[in-house]
Amino acid sequence: MNDIIVQMKNIVKVYPDGTVALRGVDLEVRRGEIHGLLGENGAGKTTLMKILSGLLRPTSGEIYIAGKRVHFKSASEALKHGIGMVHQHLALVPAFTAYENIILGLPSREASRKKIEKLMEETGLKVPLDALVEDLPFGVRQRIEIIKMLYRNVDILILDEPTTNLTPIETRELFHTLKELKKRGKTIIFITHKLREVLEVTDRITVLRRGRVVGRTETAKATPEMLAKMMVGREVVMKIEKKPAKPGEPVLIVKDLWVKNDLGEWAVKGLSFAVYSGEIFGIAGVEGNGQTELVEAITGLRRVEKGQVILMGKDVTNKSPGELYRLGLSHIPEDRHKLGLVLDMTVSENSILGIHRLKKFLGSLLNLKWGVIDRHARDIIERFEIVAPGTKAPARSLSGGNQQKLVVGRELSKSPRVIVAAQPTRGLDVAATEYIRKLLIKMRDEGKAVLLVSADLDEILQLSDRMAVMYEGEFMGIAKPEELTEERIGLMMGGYKMEQISSKTSPQPVESR
Amino acid sequence: MSELGMIIDIIEGTTYAMTPLVLAAVGEIFNERAGIVNIGLEGIMLLSGFMAVVAAEATLNPLVGVLAGIATGAFIGLIHGYITAYLKGDHIISGLGINLFALGGVAFGIEAVWGVRGYHTPPDAAKVPDIPVVNISPIFIAMILIAIGTHYLLYRTSMGLKVRAVGENPEAADVVGVNVERVQLLATIYGAALTGLAGAFLSIDWLTAITKELPAGRGFIALALVNFANWSPLLALGGGLLFGFFWTLGEWIKNMAAVKAVIPVTLMNTIPYIATLAVVAGLIGKSRPPRYVGRPYKRE
Repeated sequence: MNDIIVQMKNIVKVYPDGTVALRGVDLEVRRGEIHGLLGENGAGKTTLMKILSGLLRPTSGEIYIAGKRVHFKSASEALKHGIGMVHQHLALVPAFTAYENIILGLPSREASRKKIEKLMEETGLKVPLDALVEDLPFGVRQRIEIIKMLYRNVDILILDEPTTNLTPIETRELFHTLKELKKRGKTIIFITHKLREVLEVTDRITVLRRGRVVGRTETAKATPEMLAKMMVGREVVMKIEKKPAKPGEPVLIVKDLWVKNDLGEWAVKGLSFAVYSGEIFGIAGVEGNGQTELVEAITGLRRVEKGQVILMGKDVTNKSPGELYRLGLSHIPEDRHKLGLVLDMTVSENSILGIHRLKKFLGSLLNLKWGVIDRHARDIIERFEIVAPGTKAPARSLSGGNQQKLVVGRELSKSPRVIVAAQPTRGLDVAATEYIRKLLIKMRDEGKAVLLVSADLDEILQLSDRMAVMYEGEFMGIAKPEELTEERIGLMMGGYKMEQISSKTSPQPVESR
Repeated sequence: MSELGMIIDIIEGTTYAMTPLVLAAVGEIFNERAGIVNIGLEGIMLLSGFMAVVAAEATLNPLVGVLAGIATGAFIGLIHGYITAYLKGDHIISGLGINLFALGGVAFGIEAVWGVRGYHTPPDAAKVPDIPVVNISPIFIAMILIAIGTHYLLYRTSMGLKVRAVGENPEAADVVGVNVERVQLLATIYGAALTGLAGAFLSIDWLTAITKELPAGRGFIALALVNFANWSPLLALGGGLLFGFFWTLGEWIKNMAAVKAVIPVTLMNTIPYIATLAVVAGLIGKSRPPRYVGRPYKRE
């Protein structure tokens, strides 16, 4: 039981764009255990496991499998060594049947229906082999992926946030399966940020934070408080001075909003809420619970199927982003590279995207007045303390934080009444994060309404005057942050409505975390 | 001419008209199933047609000509596949390059080889002989077998599964050890080789001539057929049959003096396109392309 099957030594990973994901990580996994890899978004869990499963190559460091040094060039090589990874977005072909997905890539003599059926029988993992994967719910797809790995004799099974898209019942079934597989001698590495799950199902835990190991423990000796402390690490948290909010009129009202995702499934299911001028309304929740679709619907980027969006007293349901802007809406999009900037255009050009038709930028022949535009860009650079080589430099040449400041600066230069900010500090360093958070509070104090959507719970707790937790397209509850405990927020993120839990737990101040 | 004779004429004509379209479309379906778009069908037909005439005339052996056509197609497929699968180049630009190169290359080639401008007819000995009695081309028979065989390959073999997986979700294929680039390259070579066969069929079988307008848009019609057929080789066979039939019918009607006087020929030339479009659009509802078609696959 005690022998080490996976040993990763001093793993460093620097991505081609210079992002340092891992700063020398050591990991030891014992044969036949369920090993929890715990950490927040961006801690490096997935990168570490992609390296172990051959999808990425480490910048430096050594990997030993059962004592032997290995160098994987591809995922299939790792698979040959018995290492398989079930990704968060599953690596299945949607247009294929379950059976076709399982046998994909195997020589035909190794593809045997009987053997697969026997495997399903033995492990209790049942899937309809002839159904198309795209017609199956997520939980079943995940089972297909696990069967696919087991059928290839995987001994070390890596699961990346496997419960993200599962219902509570499916989650229970998955945990049952994992324990069953452990009994059969399989080693399982379980990546998660959910404390409850890691405590329930693992034997040992390694905690990562910002590319470093910050703790290792036997699960039996761990408490949620201690894990939370390791995972979040308090030293980076900054206090932000905040005056009490003085909310005014409701300027953004959403009524019974229904929105579909790209696959045509309901992503937002009948949401109703209002954002008042002079307040920050935060929406928390694990990513992928409909937040993106909600923001897109409000900002005119996605069709509203049912319901209403009212901005400044006007019905703006399914109006174009241009019209929304004229009514005073600014949007800081969650993906600055995709929606916020045109990376190959200059800082000047980017600074007028969306407002390029304003009279002050146009000459009498509808020509752009570059002098005025450059002054506008320089103004943004100064006001928002952007470090840029100049207004003629391409946006690509700016660092991530400065790119985001440019987006934020442009949006705020539109002098909006309502600001929709989605993941405004994602991927930014501490200084830039603090800057943008303070800016949002300043906007609130100036009487603007801010709708903040963020997967970063700290951000929501720090900034929001009122907050909602979103789960599978619905709000589990709306409350003031100081009324909620860490535990109650966690429960809501996991799909419990506030009414259901308020009776069970007594409120404690958030700072106790 | 008797009515029976007319019917036989139209059937014969149909077998000829459909052959190059189906060959090229089935080939293109195969490489698009693997995610590689090749809009250079027109150019491949032209180059292969040219090389087929050169080879057949030099050896006075039509089989050598056919093989030369296939080899030319395969070679262009190799280049296109390498550019798109390995170098992750743009599929459309590379395909466009093939078409442009063929246009200039063949115009020059005809002059360089035969010293004439624009038009050359190979001797009878270089022509692919018809199957006696029924007067149809052996390449027509081959085309039917190839369409059915390709369908079988795609949907009934583990190799076909790999090809389709690469076009649907290359990452999923990569993870389980499928060499995505190699599958794409081989599929592109196969697809282009079939188009090469279509080119040889045009120049040393059906039309028995080489000009720089040899394909006359058939490469692009084949591309459209790929969509109509919803990326299924068997449906491409059916669609090709329809198109071939209406094309032949149109040619036949055009030559009737009474009709000629009333309807402009150019308008009648649109018959096969409109008829095929109408029938196929009615039969097949929403087509569904391979999910990753035309997108370079990059790891990390």
